[in-house]
Amino acid sequence: MTETTAPIDAATASSGGRSERLPTKIYLYTSLTILAAIIIIPLVTTALGGFKTLGELRGNPFGLPSDWQWENYGGILFSQRYWLQMGNSLLIAGLTVFLTLAFSAMAAFAFAHVKFFGSGFLLNYFLIGLMFPAATAILPLFIRIRDLGLLDTYWGVVLPQVAFGLGMSILLFRNFFRNLPSELFDAAFVDGAGYIRFFWSITLPLSRPIIATVGIISFVGSWNSYILPLIMLNSESKYPWPLGIMVYRGEFSTDWQLILAFITLTILPTVIVFFAAQKHIIAGLTAGAVK
Amino acid sequence: MAGLELRNIAKSYGSVSVIEGINLSVEDGEFVALVGPSGCGKSTILRMVAGLEDITGGDILIGDNVVNELTPRERNIAMVFQSYALYPHMSVYKNMAFNLELSGKPKDEIDRRVREAARMLELEPLLDRKPNQLSGGQRQRVAMGRAVVRDPAVFLFDEPLSNLDAKLRVQMRSEIKTLHRKVGVTSIYVTHDQVEAMTLADRVVVLNHGVIQQEGSPMELYRRPANLFVAGFIGSPAMNFFDAVIEGGTARTANDLTFPFVSDQQLVDGHKVVVGIRPEHFLTGGALAGEVTFVEPTGGQTFVTLDLAGHQTMVLVSSEQDIDTGAGLSVSAPIERTYIFDAEAGNRLSRN
Amino acid sequence: MSQTSSISAPRALSARTPAIARRKSNRVRGTWPVLVLFLPPALLLFTVFVILPMGEAAWYSFYNWNGYGLPTQWIGTKNYELIFNNGAFRQALINNGLIILVSIVIQIPLALWIATMVTHRIKGAVMFRLLFFLPYVLADVAAGMIWRFVYDGQFGLVAGIFNAMGMSAPFWLADRQVAFYAVLGVIVWKYFGFHMMLFVAGLQSIDKSVLEAADIDGATGWQKFYRVTLPMLGSTVRLSVFFAVIGSLQLFDMIMPLTGGGPSNATQTLVTFLYSFGVMRMQVGFGSAVGVVLFVICVVLAFSYKRIFMKND
Repeated sequence: MTETTAPIDAATASSGGRSERLPTKIYLYTSLTILAAIIIIPLVTTALGGFKTLGELRGNPFGLPSDWQWENYGGILFSQRYWLQMGNSLLIAGLTVFLTLAFSAMAAFAFAHVKFFGSGFLLNYFLIGLMFPAATAILPLFIRIRDLGLLDTYWGVVLPQVAFGLGMSILLFRNFFRNLPSELFDAAFVDGAGYIRFFWSITLPLSRPIIATVGIISFVGSWNSYILPLIMLNSESKYPWPLGIMVYRGEFSTDWQLILAFITLTILPTVIVFFAAQKHIIAGLTAGAVK
Repeated sequence: MAGLELRNIAKSYGSVSVIEGINLSVEDGEFVALVGPSGCGKSTILRMVAGLEDITGGDILIGDNVVNELTPRERNIAMVFQSYALYPHMSVYKNMAFNLELSGKPKDEIDRRVREAARMLELEPLLDRKPNQLSGGQRQRVAMGRAVVRDPAVFLFDEPLSNLDAKLRVQMRSEIKTLHRKVGVTSIYVTHDQVEAMTLADRVVVLNHGVIQQEGSPMELYRRPANLFVAGFIGSPAMNFFDAVIEGGTARTANDLTFPFVSDQQLVDGHKVVVGIRPEHFLTGGALAGEVTFVEPTGGQTFVTLDLAGHQTMVLVSSEQDIDTGAGLSVSAPIERTYIFDAEAGNRLSRN
Repeated sequence: MSQTSSISAPRALSARTPAIARRKSNRVRGTWPVLVLFLPPALLLFTVFVILPMGEAAWYSFYNWNGYGLPTQWIGTKNYELIFNNGAFRQALINNGLIILVSIVIQIPLALWIATMVTHRIKGAVMFRLLFFLPYVLADVAAGMIWRFVYDGQFGLVAGIFNAMGMSAPFWLADRQVAFYAVLGVIVWKYFGFHMMLFVAGLQSIDKSVLEAADIDGATGWQKFYRVTLPMLGSTVRLSVFFAVIGSLQLFDMIMPLTGGGPSNATQTLVTFLYSFGVMRMQVGFGSAVGVVLFVICVVLAFSYKRIFMKND
């Protein structure tokens, strides 16, 4: 797996070859359907559960609701907290993605094109960050954020997230930049361009695929993150949705029909975006692994 | 070893038919080349013989057995792939031994046969290496070794030399020919390179758009092409073509070049035809004259592009003659080397 | 920016130096602005929020500190002693080990099996792949909460199944003996799709003609898989295991909604332990020590794994 990875092809439309024999087909479809059921059933029953009353949920967890309770979902959709939390998540993720892209692309560019003393050492310095999880130094991180006065602010979450994402992002960008043809740089140099102009006018426009990849990895990571906002935020008004559902659960403890409705609504954007942009998302999330 | 027969072979993908009505008989030990441009169906036919593609219609017989329903293994064929398809994690030895192991042959027999094939192909010093430690030519030889070891009924070659550079290709060509003479297995060789087909095969089958255009010995195809397509495909540099009309027993082009010819058919005045003359058949001195526009010396021969009444014609001239660009040159076409083809159907009308 | 004066000399140089060396030589004036502008942001952020805290964790671990003011109570390695004597910590270690074991023995073979199925030429293969990948994209927290519902003793799906069969419903998550196994099930459910996709990519990168050559050589389906496909997937398998191991050490988000680490610390993992005993109780020294232990485990595992298994990848 070298050079630029083509997106892992979600559809292989290869023609020809022997068609599958019937017994093989039966075995395949049976196994796959059973597995698919194991995946879907928890998700679907969660979504349906939001349409039931608590009593019905107890008696009939699997089936369709006999009486569709729209007010469970309605109450959440019309509440302020749902949209506030979604908005917080979006804001935090957006800032994280923007800063991650900007900082890592610039640093990776320097590593890829500029030969300077200690560049190898510095690169390894960033790669250390890939080796251990964010949780290891979370307490000192908390102290630092507090001392910087960023506790209970969006920046208190965004900045550490960006920092932890830099290792992987720089690696991905650097590999991509190195694989761009070096003649481009020679041509630009002959045309009179310096490094910065080259970065802005040539490298970046050509980097759309890797920008998408890094963007997706950062976004998904931030959108789903829990432990960092948990520690850094206090005010409920700033909570992103992962904290939100824990709070909601704490409030409504056994009112599962409400909790399920809330869960469904919070993962709905993820599911929709996933199916809409599947090729890019899959390619992005697995490209990180491959590199 | 056995002969091979294709009876009315047809292949379609859904409603799209790519191959129709292919009939071919290959004798035991014969080397047949399937040649044609990309997409003509030659690889598809080969893969159907191998059992890697379903047969939509018709029968394939190896020896006297209909093999349509048999798996590749059961057909007892061996195949050399364009990309070599060597097992990257196995040594050269294991690559060649794999199929014998799978069929449960005893260890000493496997060892004997592998070493014998390795000797035949000069692979002995490479037996312990992995494919990624070999050059392109070496890998191709291992691919052939893998096929030879099996002692199959039929050898199938799918453009095996396409990935090699020109010089290596020429060298491997003669190795394949030598191998065939030694081992004598019925072989079907697919290529888009007509030079390869001509030099290697006992018989050449030219395909276009899934239909056999002509089959015969290489020289037969060269001397007596059945139609326009074969005439233009076989022979390098390609035959010159002139659009013309029959007039009083000769073919006359729009700019008044006349080509006399011999034909067994009664051709009516006004019948649209295409005149074909190979560059190497032109004789210097004659009725056709024009100005030289390009001179391309290649050492032994010189390729001269001659402007005949506006028609850029390729003429092969011996390098003993000095020809300059812009000079005048007159040539003539021998009557027995002038080919006339029907302009619409493409079939040959002249007797050659 | 006029560069004409500097063109002539480098031109002569580039005619002689090979392409790779050429790329690395700095002929362009403007090296300093790039370095000064492009590197510091990332460097600063990374140092302040990743490296320094790590160093501080090591430092704080030798103190008893509640986070206010400055650490003053030096206690040497006492925190580490406390950690290793702590029953919940030992359980967390065992649990993390179990996760790694299950990942290697169950999850990866499962993902490989499924990958071979969804790379067959059948209708709907792509749809299945998407579906199997979906759990991976969901937040751990959401998945944890969904399965908290599934496992619920009164309202959950498990309860529903048992009730339908006329038996009383168990509450696995509250049962110390089975709770963690229930958690392991969720982990497999959530992550197998990711490994499956890695294997799908690996399978698709295998040259089709190698498998056809195996067909012609007479290999059966199983022989093809075992002797050709699997060896060729070696590097993907090693990569998958690597991710499974590293990922399993970070498990926190999923545990919290499921069990919070209970019952009676039966489902603690290293990170939940850190949170429950370090963060919640504001024991900065202790929590930092746990962090250091986690770091050491990660680094040792990563290094030795890379060294032993991935030497040639």
